[in-house]
Amino acid sequence: MRKLTSLALLILLSLPFLLSAQNPSKVTIKGVVRDSTNAEAGYATVMLLNIKDSTLVNFTTTNDKGVFSFNAVRNVPYLLKISHISYIPHQQALQPSATEVNDLGVIIMKPISQALMEVVIKAAKAPLRIRGDTIEYDATTFKVPPGSTVEDLLRRLPGIDVDADGNISTQGKDVKRVYVDGKTFFGDDPKSVTKNLDAEAISKVQVFDEKSEQTKLTGVDDGTKEKAMNLGLKDEYKKGSFGKATLAGGTSERWAARGNFNRFDEKNQLSFIGYGNNINQTGVNWEDYGEFKGQNTFNDYDNGDFGFGGGGRGYYIISDGGMFMGSDRRGYSESYGAGINYNFDNKKTKYNASYFYNQTSQTLDQYTSKKTFLTEGSVLNNDTLSQSSFYGNHSIGTRFEHDIDSNNKIIAKANIKFSSNTNSNYQVQRFTNEDISPINSLSTDNSTDLGSWSVGTAAIYRHRFLKAGRSFALSAGYNTSHNSTTDSLLSINQFFTATTFTEQIRQLKDRATDATEIKSSALYTEPITKKWYWETFYNFSLSGNEANRQVKSLPEETRIDSVSVYSDNSTLYNRLGSSIRYSNNGFNAMAGVAMQQLKLKGSYLQDLNLPFIDSVPEIRRTYNNWVPNVNINYQLPNNMYLSLNYSYNVDEPSVSDLAPVPNSSNRNFLIEGNPELKPWRSHSVSFSYNYWNPASFANISLYTSASFSEDQIVYNQWIKTVEGVGLQTITKPDNISEGKDLSVGLWSNLPIIKTKFSVGVDGNFNIGKSASYVNDIRNDNTNTGIDFGLNFDITPSTKFILDLRGNVGFNKISYSIQKEQDQNIQNHSAYASLKWQFVKKTFLESSFNYTVYINDRWDFDRRIPIWNASVRRIIGEKNRFEVRLAAFDIFNKRVSITQTATSNYVLQSVAPTLARYFMLSLSYNLRGYEDKLSKNRMMF
Amino acid sequence: MINNRLTFERDSRFQLSTGLMTMLFLVTMAVNLFAQKPEGYIRYLRTGNWAKQMAAVDYMSKQQRDRMMYMWGNRSEYKSFANLWFSPSGSKYEDSEEKADRDDEGYNWRKEEYTIMRNFETQTVHEVEYILGKTYIIDDSLHYPNWKILNDMKEVAGHICMNAFYEDTLKMQKITAWYALDLPVSTGPERLGGLPGVILEIDINDGAMVITADKVELKPLTTELDLPKKVKGKKINESQYYGILKKHFDERRAAEEPPFWSIRY
Repeated sequence: MRKLTSLALLILLSLPFLLSAQNPSKVTIKGVVRDSTNAEAGYATVMLLNIKDSTLVNFTTTNDKGVFSFNAVRNVPYLLKISHISYIPHQQALQPSATEVNDLGVIIMKPISQALMEVVIKAAKAPLRIRGDTIEYDATTFKVPPGSTVEDLLRRLPGIDVDADGNISTQGKDVKRVYVDGKTFFGDDPKSVTKNLDAEAISKVQVFDEKSEQTKLTGVDDGTKEKAMNLGLKDEYKKGSFGKATLAGGTSERWAARGNFNRFDEKNQLSFIGYGNNINQTGVNWEDYGEFKGQNTFNDYDNGDFGFGGGGRGYYIISDGGMFMGSDRRGYSESYGAGINYNFDNKKTKYNASYFYNQTSQTLDQYTSKKTFLTEGSVLNNDTLSQSSFYGNHSIGTRFEHDIDSNNKIIAKANIKFSSNTNSNYQVQRFTNEDISPINSLSTDNSTDLGSWSVGTAAIYRHRFLKAGRSFALSAGYNTSHNSTTDSLLSINQFFTATTFTEQIRQLKDRATDATEIKSSALYTEPITKKWYWETFYNFSLSGNEANRQVKSLPEETRIDSVSVYSDNSTLYNRLGSSIRYSNNGFNAMAGVAMQQLKLKGSYLQDLNLPFIDSVPEIRRTYNNWVPNVNINYQLPNNMYLSLNYSYNVDEPSVSDLAPVPNSSNRNFLIEGNPELKPWRSHSVSFSYNYWNPASFANISLYTSASFSEDQIVYNQWIKTVEGVGLQTITKPDNISEGKDLSVGLWSNLPIIKTKFSVGVDGNFNIGKSASYVNDIRNDNTNTGIDFGLNFDITPSTKFILDLRGNVGFNKISYSIQKEQDQNIQNHSAYASLKWQFVKKTFLESSFNYTVYINDRWDFDRRIPIWNASVRRIIGEKNRFEVRLAAFDIFNKRVSITQTATSNYVLQSVAPTLARYFMLSLSYNLRGYEDKLSKNRMMF
Repeated sequence: MINNRLTFERDSRFQLSTGLMTMLFLVTMAVNLFAQKPEGYIRYLRTGNWAKQMAAVDYMSKQQRDRMMYMWGNRSEYKSFANLWFSPSGSKYEDSEEKADRDDEGYNWRKEEYTIMRNFETQTVHEVEYILGKTYIIDDSLHYPNWKILNDMKEVAGHICMNAFYEDTLKMQKITAWYALDLPVSTGPERLGGLPGVILEIDINDGAMVITADKVELKPLTTELDLPKKVKGKKINESQYYGILKKHFDERRAAEEPPFWSIRY
C-alpha cells in the first residue's frame, strides 16, 4: 500500500516532465490572419520573438489568403507578433506545443480606424507613434509662435479638433481628461491645462482610451472608454547650470580669484565670468574661455573678403581671441576682468551677444643694452626703463546668423570697443663709444594718456541657385576708429663731448586719429561641369585716415612747427578677379588672376585750418597690378595629403612712406619719406606633405616655403653722432631687389608602444637674406637658423603621466660689412612635466624647465631653471571641492630676457618679473572635478 | 527634388486634402505592390553630429563630454547621401557622390570605399570597406544583430514603419531602426538588416547619427545589383572584421582617445 502510494506520488510529480518530454523538439506554427470583417489579411508581417526580451527569432509574411506558417522551428515559448499597415499590431504569447503542428486558427486583427489612419497619413511630416491604442505626437516638430499655449499647439495637430471654446475632441469623441506627465493638473477641466500651459514646455502629446471614471471607481469594466490626453513635459536634462569658483592666497602678497557661472538649455546659453589676480595672468585660460563663449567659441571664417587670400571653406576662427591666453612674463601686473555672454541657437537662427571688460596695471623695470654699428666703430647704449602702465577695455560684440530658407542666408555682426591707456615711464639712456668713453646721457620722463573707441560692422548675404554649385555672395562692412593721445615729455640730454652742456626739452603733444573704412565684396560661382567651377569676385574698399599731431613746447605753450602736422590720407582699392577650380575625388585645384588697382591720396597741412606744408606737395598715386594665384590640394590614397600654393603679392607703400613730412618729434630718430617709392612685389611658394596612419596614429608633416622679393621696401639709415643731439638716426624707405626667405620644417609623432609611449621629432631650418644701406654702404644680412626638438610622451597608466621635451636651436647672423659683428646665438631648453595620482583623489603635478641662452659675440651665457610643483586633493562626495598647494619658481630664478639682432644693431633686454611664491587655493566646481587624470589632450 | 519638397512644405496646409489623397493613393498602391516584386532604389540622408558621437564614448570624463557638447553640440552636424538598391534577391548599399550639404559643393574629398552587397539567394554578404587606412574585402554568410522588436509606428518617406532596437556594445551604439511594413526585403542602410522589412531610418545614440530615407522609388532594377568593378583589398571574413574593430576600440580605450576620428561611425 505504501509502495503504491509512493508510486502514485512519483507518477503525479513527474507528470509535467513526462508531458513535456512528449513535446516534439521542432514545431510548425501556422495560422490565418483576418480582419474584423473576416476579410483575409494578406501580406502581413508575422514575427516570432523571444518571449523574454522580444528579440527577433524568425519572421514571414502571410500569403494573399492571409495564411502563414513557420516550419520546423524550436518548440519553445514565443511571442507572436503580426503587423500590417492597415491594422493595429497584434501580439500573443505562444506556449510550447504538444503536437508537431501548432495551428493557431484564425487570428483577428483590428483595423486602424479611418480617423487613426488619417492621423497616420497626415503625419507625413510629423513623427507620430502608435503604441497599442495610444497615438503619440512629437510636439517639438509642430511650430507655434513663442508664447503660444498648449491649445494653440493642439489646433495644429492632425486628427485633433479644438472648437472655439477650447473643447478638444479626437476621432469624433470628446477628450474628457488631460494629464501632465501622467498627473492630473488643476482639477478636472481639460481646458484649465490647455489654456494655461505654455506650448514651449511640451515635448509630446499622447491620446489614448481610458476606462471611464465609473469603471475606475467600481472596478467593474463596463466596457465604456473615454478619450484622454497626456502632455509630456520636455526633458530636464537638456537644461542645466554649471560653475566654478577659486580663491587663492600666497606668499609675497600674491592672490588670485576667479569664477564663472553658466545656465543653458537646448537653445540658450548664458554665462558670466570674473577674475582678478596679481600673478601676471592678464586673461582667462582656454578652458574658461570655451565655457564662457560656448557655441560661439568658434565661428566660420566669414570676414566677407571674397577672392584670393580671403579665407576658404571650413575654416573656423576663434571668435574673440582678445580676452584669453593673456600672460605677460615681464614685470609685475595686477589684472581684473568680467563679462557676460549670451548665445541663442535653434539651428535656423544663431545669435550671440557679449560684453567683456578687462584691465591690467603693470609695473616694469627693464635694462637694455644696444649696440649700433656705424660706418666706423659702433655706439653702445645702456638703457634703464622704469614704467608703470594701465589699460582698460570694454568690448561689446554681437553676431546674428539666419537661414532665411535653404537657399538664402544672412550674417550680420558688430563689435564696439572702448579703451583707455595710461603710461608713465622714466628712462635713462647712456651712450658710449666702443671704448666706453661717454658721448651723452639722455633721460626722459614721459606720460601718455590715450583714449579710443572703435566700431566694426559687417554683413554677408549668401544665395544659392537651384543649380547645384551655382552661388552668389555679397558683403558689406563699415569700420571706424577714433583715438586721442596726450603725451607730455620732459627730456634732459647731457653731452660729454668737446663741450659739455645740457639741453632740456619739455613738450606737450596732442595726437588725434580718425580712421574709417567702407568696403564691399561680391562673389559668383558657376559650375561648368560637375568637376569644373568658375569663380568671379570683386572687392572694393575706401578707407580714410585723418591724423592731427600738434606739439607745443612747455611751459610757454608755443607750437613747434617742425613736428606739428595734420594729414588726411585716403586709399581706394578695387580688385576684380576670376579663377577656375577643379574638384574631383580628393584633387582640388584652383588657378586664377586678378587685376587690382590702388589709389592713394594724401595731403599734409600745418594744422586743420592752416595751409599746406610748403615742402610737401599733395601725394597722388595709382598702382595697377595683375596678381596671379594658384592653389592645389591633393589627397592621395592611404591618408597622404599634398598641398601647393603660389601667390604673387603687391604691397603698395603707405602714404607716410611716400611723404617727406616731419613725423617724429624726437631729434634722435628722424624719418624721411620717399616719393619715388615703388610697390613691394613678392612671389611666395609653399608646399606641404602630411601623412597619418589612422590605425597607429603615427603622423608626419613636412613643409617648405620660400619667398622672393622684387623692390622690397627697406629702411635705409644714416647714423651719426651730431653735436648737440647725440646719436642721430635718419631713416628713409627705399626699394631694393634683395630679400629671400626659405624655410623647411618637419613634425612627426610616432607611437612606440601603443597608448603608453610615443616619440615626437621636429626640426626646422630657415635662411633669410635681406639688405639695406647704412650710411650709404650696402649691408647684406644673412640669418640662418636651425632647430631640433625631441619629445617623449609616457603614459603607462592614468595614474602617471610624464612628458619630456628637449630643444636645441642655433642661429647665425652675418653681415657683409663689419664681419666682426657676426653672431652665433644658441637657445636650448629641456622640459619635464609629471602628473601623478599617488593617493585616491590626490595628485602631484610638477614641471621643470631649463633654458639656456648663449651669444658668443656678447659673452652672454644665461641658464635659467624654473621649477613649479603643486599638490591638489579633490574633496567631497561629488568631487566638488579642490584644495591645492602650489609652489612657483622654487629656485627663484625667473627673469624675462629678449634678444634682437638686425642689420645694424643688436640688443638684449632683461626685465625682472614675478619669481618664487607659494600659493594655497580652494576651488569649488558645481559639476565636480575629474577625479582622475586624462591621457588625451583634447582641446575641449 | 529638394525644390519640389520645399514647395510641398510651403503649401502643405493648403494642400492637405490633396496630400491626403496622394498619401491614401500611395498606401493603396503600396498594398497593391505586394503583388509585384518589392524592388527599387532608396536614397538615404545621413546626418552625423560628431559632438554627440564623442559624448557617447563612456570612457572619456563626464567633464570633457559636457564641455564638448556645450561648445559644439549645435554646430557639429555633417550630412551626406547614400544609395540602396534592393530586390527580393539582393541589395547593394553605397555612399553617394551627390552632396547633401550644399556648403560642401565645390570641394571633393577622396572617396573611401564602402559597399555592402547582400545576396538573399545564397545568403551571403560581400563588402568592400576602407578601415583604418586599408581596403578590405569581406565575404561571409549573412549575419544580423539580435533585434528587439518594439511597438512604435511612424511614417518614413511615405511608408509606415515599425521599430526595433539593438545595442552594439563594441561601438558603444544604441541603435533604433524603423523598418517598412510594406517593403518585405530584409536589408537596410550601412551594415544593418535582418528585419522583416527594409530599414528606412536609423537613429544611433539619440542623434549622433541619423540615417533616414528621403527618397524611395519602387521600380524594376536592371544592372544595379551587379558586382561592382574589382577593387584591390585584403580578403577577410566577418569575424576577422570584428577583430580589427575590436583591436582599434580597445587601443583607443586604453589611450582614452575618441575612437571615431579614424573610423566610420
